Amino acid sequence: MSLIYDPPQDCKLVGAMRAIHGVSDSITIVHARPGCHCGMLLLKALGSNQNDVRVISSGFRAHDTVYGAEGRLSSAIELSQEYFEPGLIAALNCSAPAIMGDDIEGVASSMEEQIPAALMTLATGGYEGPAWLGYEEALVKFTDYMIPVERPSANKVNLIGIKTDDINAAGDLKEIRRLLKDQGIMVNTVLADASFDEIKNAPDASLNVVLGGDGLECAKVMRERFGIPYVMTPYPFGVQKTTEFVELVATRLGREIDSELIDREVELVREGVERVCMFLQGLYDMPVAVIGESGRAFDLAEFLSDELGINVSLLAITGKNHLTSDKMEDGNGYFGDVLIEPDRFEMNNLIKEAGVSVIFGSTFEKHLSSELKAPLIRVSYPVIDEVRITDPTYAGFRGTLHLCETIINAVITENIEEIQE
Amino acid sequence: MTENGSGSKSSLLMSFVKMYGTLPLHGITAIPGKISGALMLADAIEDAVPLIHGPVGCAFQRKVNPFKPHSPFYTTPCTNMNDTDVVYGGEEKLEQGIRETYERYHPNLILVITTCPSDLIGDDAEAVTREVSSEVGCDVVYSTGDFVGRSKPVGYQDAFYAITDQMLCNGTDNGDLKRNEGSVNIVTFPIHGAGIKVAEMASVFNDMEIGVNKVCFDHTRVEDLYELPKADLNITDYPMQWAKLMDERSDVGCYEILGWGRYNEEKDPELLSPYGISGSSRVFMEIAEMMGKDGVAEEVIGRRRSDAEERLSKARKGLDGVKIAAIGGLHGVGLNLFKDAGVDVSVLICRTQIMEGRLTDGAINEIVDMNMNLAEICDFDPETLVNPTIEEEIKAIRRSETDLVIAPSTSAHLYNREGVRTFDPTGFMIHHQRVGFECPIELCRMLKAALKTPQRRTPLLSMLQHDSQMHGLTPHWAKLSRAFSLLRADTIGDGLGVEVGDEVGAGVDVELDVEVDADIGRVEGGFDR
Repeated sequence: MSLIYDPPQDCKLVGAMRAIHGVSDSITIVHARPGCHCGMLLLKALGSNQNDVRVISSGFRAHDTVYGAEGRLSSAIELSQEYFEPGLIAALNCSAPAIMGDDIEGVASSMEEQIPAALMTLATGGYEGPAWLGYEEALVKFTDYMIPVERPSANKVNLIGIKTDDINAAGDLKEIRRLLKDQGIMVNTVLADASFDEIKNAPDASLNVVLGGDGLECAKVMRERFGIPYVMTPYPFGVQKTTEFVELVATRLGREIDSELIDREVELVREGVERVCMFLQGLYDMPVAVIGESGRAFDLAEFLSDELGINVSLLAITGKNHLTSDKMEDGNGYFGDVLIEPDRFEMNNLIKEAGVSVIFGSTFEKHLSSELKAPLIRVSYPVIDEVRITDPTYAGFRGTLHLCETIINAVITENIEEIQE
Repeated sequence: MTENGSGSKSSLLMSFVKMYGTLPLHGITAIPGKISGALMLADAIEDAVPLIHGPVGCAFQRKVNPFKPHSPFYTTPCTNMNDTDVVYGGEEKLEQGIRETYERYHPNLILVITTCPSDLIGDDAEAVTREVSSEVGCDVVYSTGDFVGRSKPVGYQDAFYAITDQMLCNGTDNGDLKRNEGSVNIVTFPIHGAGIKVAEMASVFNDMEIGVNKVCFDHTRVEDLYELPKADLNITDYPMQWAKLMDERSDVGCYEILGWGRYNEEKDPELLSPYGISGSSRVFMEIAEMMGKDGVAEEVIGRRRSDAEERLSKARKGLDGVKIAAIGGLHGVGLNLFKDAGVDVSVLICRTQIMEGRLTDGAINEIVDMNMNLAEICDFDPETLVNPTIEEEIKAIRRSETDLVIAPSTSAHLYNREGVRTFDPTGFMIHHQRVGFECPIELCRMLKAALKTPQRRTPLLSMLQHDSQMHGLTPHWAKLSRAFSLLRADTIGDGLGVEVGDEVGAGVDVELDVEVDADIGRVEGGFDR
């Protein structure tokens, strides 16, 4: 195995930022040299709501590595409060100040009385771990601010594992809310796509729903602290996983499922399938590669394989979570080779060898996609070259049809002359 | 594709670049770190591969290219430093990493880029690269960001300096280099599209009997870099530390098209606006003098100039009496180009907010004065507005019966909705503005096209709120910008003592920050927000 690593995943900083930025009235202070802040800002500006980027730098300069930058961090906290009046200010301590020993927790605790916003700190040195750990740790940190509820509302659930900068996240969430609402289940708080007050109010739910395994640690801590049980569900791609999702949630709440509603939804999917049946037949056995994070990629690959009859020749998991090994076992038979957090060079070579027709991945697969003349369907983080403003969904029953049309169109809109060149 | 890039392929490229060019990034809300700058250089050398000596984030996150966000750095291997390495050191990993990088990619150059963790724990990149370089079949160079002081962009400057220092002029293998007598290198920032933008310059040199040894970066390979010290002169856009080093060690002179050092001494604003007929004539003549070709150059420049002026007089038809509102700054469309185009600059708008956290009041005033002086030299007598609101601008524009506002697409709609046409300088600056005689002719064509654009009275962008001072930004981004500016400059005081024109210091800092902005579309010399 090579030592050098062209990573398919980011460091803790990005994972933490993705969770924190999901709190709509939060400000993230990147306490780091300018490159880390610039990187965060770019990822947010290119990959999500462009007028809602809430990431600032602590202004860390080269000479601060000698004298420390705690003063700069406190200035950044003060200024964040003054400019943005947020509910939450999160300071993320990156490699340089972490090695220097900046006491960011001390800075935050010394300012608690003067700053109305909640102050949160997190160790996110680049060498301290991968992005998914940062995401998990940030969600767990949120539990420190949650307010216990004596009698949580019945039929209210929290959704855990949502990342607002995933492609179609807003549309997916809308569809998931709709599916649950149809079954008489309301969403209390989404972790993390909520205001800070909603985060604090998360214990007012009778069940935590962990989608795809992301945020499992948070669910465990909430069970321990607030007595809220959790249920693990797949990310609802396709008819089977959507049905499973609804059934799992309803069952854990002790509710009867409205089967008629499900049947009606499935019928709508059937009608859609009918409209493109010949192209769907054409997709059968098409070799593809799926590249993405554990929380979504396994379920997407299983849908492609099981419901569309597509051959997932290679599944590359760019970022793990606590369920990754279980998912590998469960998914056995649905995919060909499974790579976990592979080196990008080796992964690309394997994809080339696999001779795939379509790649499901992120913007960073664009070059490979051009090289192979295989269309790239952007489903994984980061997507910084495709926008969504109409909130389409890939999740749920409606998302099933949207996925079908996206895949079919990706193939048939290609210019065959270019491919043959 | 035509020489000036007017083909359809080029048109798509311009649109593509512009889509990402509206990001308010460089020096406005963020500064890319040294890794990005170094990666930009590695990316521009076709057979080079970077090796980032650091954790995964330093490699993954930097795939997003802040200089060209539409074009990620796809290959960014790293040594995958972890917490154990931070305690015990990562030199062994670096050593092994260099070997593996060679085995995997078979490059002709490995550019080792150190990161915060490897720098702070004191990994000796120099010793490791020296040790391993003899074991691999390619050059290995390391860049820490410490070689070039505050010259910006640090990563780019530092990596190029490192290549010159450790590879091209290292004093061991370069002694018997056969000179390409009477030739120059033209080395521009890698995002300029060098091949297209220097074609005319190369052609003029050819007429002046000056050879072009190398043009960088235009499909540049390591073997091309090795040829650089063969020339007599390096021509660069800006002060480059590598060029100074090459001058010291290999006696290759250097000429900076934008003469910040000279401006500091002479305070001649034309030194910072080397475009148009007279600016280009000056630059060509100065280079010819340095190359001992002033005799032949006089005739060539005269002939070329006369030919261009004749065509320019035709191109100017229809622009007589046209009034424009220009935006002042360190960059932007040079006022002397407007003079060549035969239009009148009736309003000069200077916005200084973005610089306030980085420059002294004196420096900012000097930049404003510099623009006014240049306007005077060009025989313009504009109404000058410093940090006006959009309402004040519109009033001045109406009062002066101005026909066209030079406004990037970030703020164009604010004028369009008032019935004022705009000219987007972004595309012009990125793809057309250069030293040469064709440039003003192209500007005439583009200005005339802008004057014919349909009125846009109801742009959707006008539905948004915009900051009253930084017109191109929404109030939210203006806050991010102000926060960035304040936090970079606060208590510690860095940036407060900065003067315009400090050689290789803050003046350059300002200059290059702005240049980078311009190249991805943040034009108008840092005054635009």
